[in-house]
Amino acid sequence: MQRAADLSVSLAGNVIVDGISLDLATGQLTVLIGPNGAGKTTLMRALAGLLPVTGRLELQGRALQEFSARERAQRIAYLPQGHVFHWPMSVAAVVALGRHPHADAFAPLSDADRAAVAHAIAATAIEPWAARIVTTLSGGERARVALARALATQAPILLADEPTMSLDPRHQLVVMELLAGAAHDGGAVLAIVHDLALAARFSDRVVMMERGRLVADGGAREVLTPERIAAVFAVEAAIADSAVGPIPILRRPL
Amino acid sequence: MDATRRHYWRLEAALAALILLLAILSLMIGPAGLSPKAALGGLFNGDGPAGIIVRDIRLPRTLLALLIGGTLGLSGAALQGLLRNPLAEPALFGAPQAAAAASSFMIAFSVAGATSLAVPLAGIAGALVSIGGLVAVAGRRASLTVTLLAGLALASFAGAVTALILNLAPNPFAALEIAFWLLGSLEDRSTDHLLIAAPFFVVSWLLLAMNARAFRALTLGEDAAASLGVDLDRLRMTVVIGVAVGVGAAVAVAGSIGFVGLIAPHLVRRAVGSDPARVLLPGALAGAALLTAADITVRLLPAADELRVGVVTALIGVPFFLAMIFSERRQLEGAPS
Repeated sequence: MQRAADLSVSLAGNVIVDGISLDLATGQLTVLIGPNGAGKTTLMRALAGLLPVTGRLELQGRALQEFSARERAQRIAYLPQGHVFHWPMSVAAVVALGRHPHADAFAPLSDADRAAVAHAIAATAIEPWAARIVTTLSGGERARVALARALATQAPILLADEPTMSLDPRHQLVVMELLAGAAHDGGAVLAIVHDLALAARFSDRVVMMERGRLVADGGAREVLTPERIAAVFAVEAAIADSAVGPIPILRRPL
Repeated sequence: MDATRRHYWRLEAALAALILLLAILSLMIGPAGLSPKAALGGLFNGDGPAGIIVRDIRLPRTLLALLIGGTLGLSGAALQGLLRNPLAEPALFGAPQAAAAASSFMIAFSVAGATSLAVPLAGIAGALVSIGGLVAVAGRRASLTVTLLAGLALASFAGAVTALILNLAPNPFAALEIAFWLLGSLEDRSTDHLLIAAPFFVVSWLLLAMNARAFRALTLGEDAAASLGVDLDRLRMTVVIGVAVGVGAAVAVAGSIGFVGLIAPHLVRRAVGSDPARVLLPGALAGAALLTAADITVRLLPAADELRVGVVTALIGVPFFLAMIFSERRQLEGAPS
């Protein structure tokens, strides 16, 4: 679906992403993990087409640069970190922004747009606040509105940067289930997640980054080993087998 | 959704009715008071003294007030949308200051008087030069910070040039004339002024209005807006140029008129909400109504010399703005930057 080959990104003279090759496949939830400053967000912004890169970026078999901004936006939904809302707009109006790449200038929302917005609002269970002003919501509520906005685009590729940030345990599970569901419905989903237990449990594939490079890529069981967690995160960990699969238990910083 | 849309169009209709009423009042009020019937008769038939007063003096003045106020209101709303900041206003990029400097130069050092057509032409040229400078300094891929800093520097430079011109003015009368002109006025403006400025206003409106949806997407921040297909470089360029062209032309024909661009969008946000795309049209209409009302006020106030409308917009505008900030303190504090 989306392929990066030998992708590098330099910001202000520093190489942040260093020769990464990555193939995002349809039907998979890929979780991107790595310590702070590993270059995860920069890689994701580059995949979203928002940064000048060297190397090759392909979308559906064509070079990403060949797509117009609008065509690209219809195919790649990007949920940035932080869930920013500058103006006190209604939740429904914010979610409808996800339809921006599909709507014609000055045209009101079509029936398809309305259906996509309603679907995204229902999937994230934010109906109770649809009429509320987004800046009055709590952090966790905003995170779900932000995700609904990205889902409303109904793009085949979804890039989500820390979608579970500031969510309580229940809603972390809800959001991860949503992302897995979006992947299993035929999307290619890449999510940056810091919680290794969530990563192990919901991912079809785990990609680990350290200092701009990919250091591991595979199933959770292969990637999340105590040795690798120690080497990359400097944390002593054990892997516990549980009813929901292997779960990393973090013991202490090394 | 439909209820808010109905509400929105009801507000537009109310603002349009207010503007029509103010326009008729503006045709009636002046040194020679006219009844509504005489004013409209003069407008449509052009007969007798009423025809001359209305068609040659008050109609251009009224239309300029409407167009300049509308342009200032729209520019303010667009800049606030671009910068995602309710404090943004048209003077940020230096174009009005540059227009003022160029017009001052023309008043000081040419045979032209303050109401001659050389003054607005020079002002528009000054605004265009300052935009060119801004684009050259900030570059094509300019970040907002770089553009704002460059705009601030150009604005300060234009202010210094105006001060220098006042300093070097060949005689005290020229200095006085510049000083009064800088205060902002619609007095004695003719149809020619209107015709010079109008094309620039139209270009400005088109450049700003075509970005309405982009302003809305920007509520999610620049990265998310770009990922939704908004071309940020083109957006910044068209908005900076649109504001500079419109506001530069406004300053060129009427001098500096402050606060309309800042206040008009705030006024309508209370009624239509904060969606930056929905603030544009009512912001422009509110700006037109505000400036026309201010221009009627200066004609009603008993004073030896007519007060300048720029003085009135600031004198009324600032306390009003402070009161508004005071009443919305809580909400403004809670809102993210």
